[in-house]
Amino acid sequence: MTTTTIRARERKSENNQIVTYLIVGGAIIFVMMIFGILMLLAQGGALDVSPAAFYQFLTIHGTGMIGAAALAAASVMWYFLREYVDLSKKIFIANLVLFLIGVVMVIVGVFSFEYASSWTFLYPLPALSGGAWGTIGALLYLFGMLILGVGFLLLFIDTGRAIIKKYGSLGKGLGWDVISGKKSEEDAPPKAVIASTMVTIVNVTALLAGATVLIMNIINVINPAFTFDPLLAKNLTYAFGHIFANSIIYMAVIAVYEILPRYANRPWKANKVFLIAWTMSTVFTLLIYTHHMLMDSVMPTWMLIMGQALSYANGLPVLIVTAYGALMIVYRSGIKWDVASGLIFISMFGWVVGVVPAIIDATIVVNHVMHNTKWVPGHFHMYMALGACAMLFGFMYFLAKEDSAIKPNLLDKIGLIGFTLGVLSLSGSFLVSGALSTPRRWATHIPEWMGPALFGAVAGVLMTISLAIFIIHFIRYVRERDYVPRDEEGKKIA
Amino acid sequence: MIQTVAWVVSLIFMTLIAVVFGVVALKSQGRRDYEPIKKKWYKARSFYAITLVIVMLAVTIYTLRDLPYNQPVYSEGQEPTVVDVEALQFGWDISQTEFKVGEPIEFDVTSKDVNHGFGIYDEDMNLLAQTQAMPEYTNTVYITFDEPGTYEILCLEYCGLAHHIMTATIEVTE
Ligand code: HEM
Ligand SMILES: [Cu+2]
Ligand SMILES: [Cu+2]
Repeated sequence: MTTTTIRARERKSENNQIVTYLIVGGAIIFVMMIFGILMLLAQGGALDVSPAAFYQFLTIHGTGMIGAAALAAASVMWYFLREYVDLSKKIFIANLVLFLIGVVMVIVGVFSFEYASSWTFLYPLPALSGGAWGTIGALLYLFGMLILGVGFLLLFIDTGRAIIKKYGSLGKGLGWDVISGKKSEEDAPPKAVIASTMVTIVNVTALLAGATVLIMNIINVINPAFTFDPLLAKNLTYAFGHIFANSIIYMAVIAVYEILPRYANRPWKANKVFLIAWTMSTVFTLLIYTHHMLMDSVMPTWMLIMGQALSYANGLPVLIVTAYGALMIVYRSGIKWDVASGLIFISMFGWVVGVVPAIIDATIVVNHVMHNTKWVPGHFHMYMALGACAMLFGFMYFLAKEDSAIKPNLLDKIGLIGFTLGVLSLSGSFLVSGALSTPRRWATHIPEWMGPALFGAVAGVLMTISLAIFIIHFIRYVRERDYVPRDEEGKKIA
Repeated sequence: MIQTVAWVVSLIFMTLIAVVFGVVALKSQGRRDYEPIKKKWYKARSFYAITLVIVMLAVTIYTLRDLPYNQPVYSEGQEPTVVDVEALQFGWDISQTEFKVGEPIEFDVTSKDVNHGFGIYDEDMNLLAQTQAMPEYTNTVYITFDEPGTYEILCLEYCGLAHHIMTATIEVTE
């Protein structure tokens, strides 16, 4: 056997797990989109769905989307981070296995045992369902989430370990020695390392908070005589939910940092401003979850004011550094546009536009009339679907191009346009609903609220078809990558 | 109305962002040297960053002057009518539901079981004010109705399968 084939085989097997992560993530997102459409059809009055079924869809959609997007984003982070530090493949695989076990438990809990607390499982709802679901459903869901969380926790402990081993500390992974002037800008860590360090810090925190509140809920479900402070539980829940959901885009953005400069053939190095921006993101992401509690006047007022002020400030790193940097890289670069670079570029747009309604809603006086209206899914669908998911799908096209001879065709381009228009329309319809005071998480709507829901359902169909196109392309790649000739480095021979 | 302001401001900024990305995409071809571009646009960035920070600071200060958590300033000698609200799966227990136009009201809201949301809607189904109803704690929301009519209370925190039918009404007369 020649070295060539060995190297090629190694390379291929290294990407095997990445591919599996992406296929699992993409497939779950696809199925969850269908549940999203069903919910909108029900709210729009076009489909008869019982409240029990509606809230099960809501629960599975929220849980599944966050989980699947986080899984796929973790594979993006892992793919690039492993170029710089020594990651454990065993843990990467263990995370996937635990994820799948968790998913099965969640699915069984929701659909067989009618568990429907929504993905935020706000204490003490899991135990007090008003007769809707029982102990078994709640335990399946909560333990499923716990197992899923443990998998991710292991993964981020491993990334933390690897970063510390290579760079000395997490602070150095964030380039603090460069910020303080001890080291020159040239020696700043690579962007993938900086972002991964940030994600490691915030997600270990988030997952510990999540595990704590999950265990509190589990104890309360098993024995309702054990109770906990509901305000503490709420803080832990939103600390977990906010940080974990947000970390998805901070993992996925590594794809932007790595892919865009290659396409534009321009360098994008970390400098001091970049490092400061990421340190800001780290701190703010940990602190701003209180913007989910602006309507709890029992919270200390300073925490709520901080929630508003820091939520604004949290927009600065992306607005001034990441998005601005991406625009500079592209401007007059002669960049080659294809589906990968197109999705990556669109994803930056999606993130930035999503910031606008988010910041507006984080304003306490606005939140007073918009909290828990459909304005909220309006802003996060923009930045989750058009921001984070476009990064993930862009990465899938990138990987296919790197690793096989498959070329995107006209259909893929249509997918790109369809996806963009679809998300903009869906999010726009949510925002309109929010401006009309439509409450979120309502199984039925009054006639005045139905129009935007139906419009959103059509937009959702467009998104789903587009994702089907992306997935078909990816499957074509997976099937053909076995037949690509490679050089010693494992790079394909053109 | 706050919702309209929020929607219009969002639209303006989102359109602006779309234009910027559109222009850059249109001007992505015709490769030029990166160094001059970097120099020029880093300079522009300082200006942009400072503007952004100033605008955000100004908006923060402006919007934080008057928070819904504090009791509004009423005319002399006027005290709000205190109303106790208890949420429970799946209904509202409200100590008083008939009010006069111009009467300042303080709703003290709590819950018997899980988290709920106390949202006050006008006759056109616009959300006027809200607070969370949570067990063991009492959140306060202040409101003074300017117009007579039937107002609705809607649950604004997911609380179980009858969340969307957990409503009540309030009568306000001249
Ligand atoms: C075809 C595309 C999609 C459609 C039609 C759709 C639809 C919906 C609907 C109708 C809701 C409930 C709104 C309400 O509260 O009344 C919702 C919630 C949600 N969606 Fe989507 N969605 C789509 C894509 C996505 C994507 C791509 C993500 C993230 C990756 C996502 C994440 C979420 C989350 C986290 C919630 C919150 C669930 C909750 O309130 O508990 N969705 N979506
Ligand atoms: Cu309720
Ligand atoms: Cu409710």
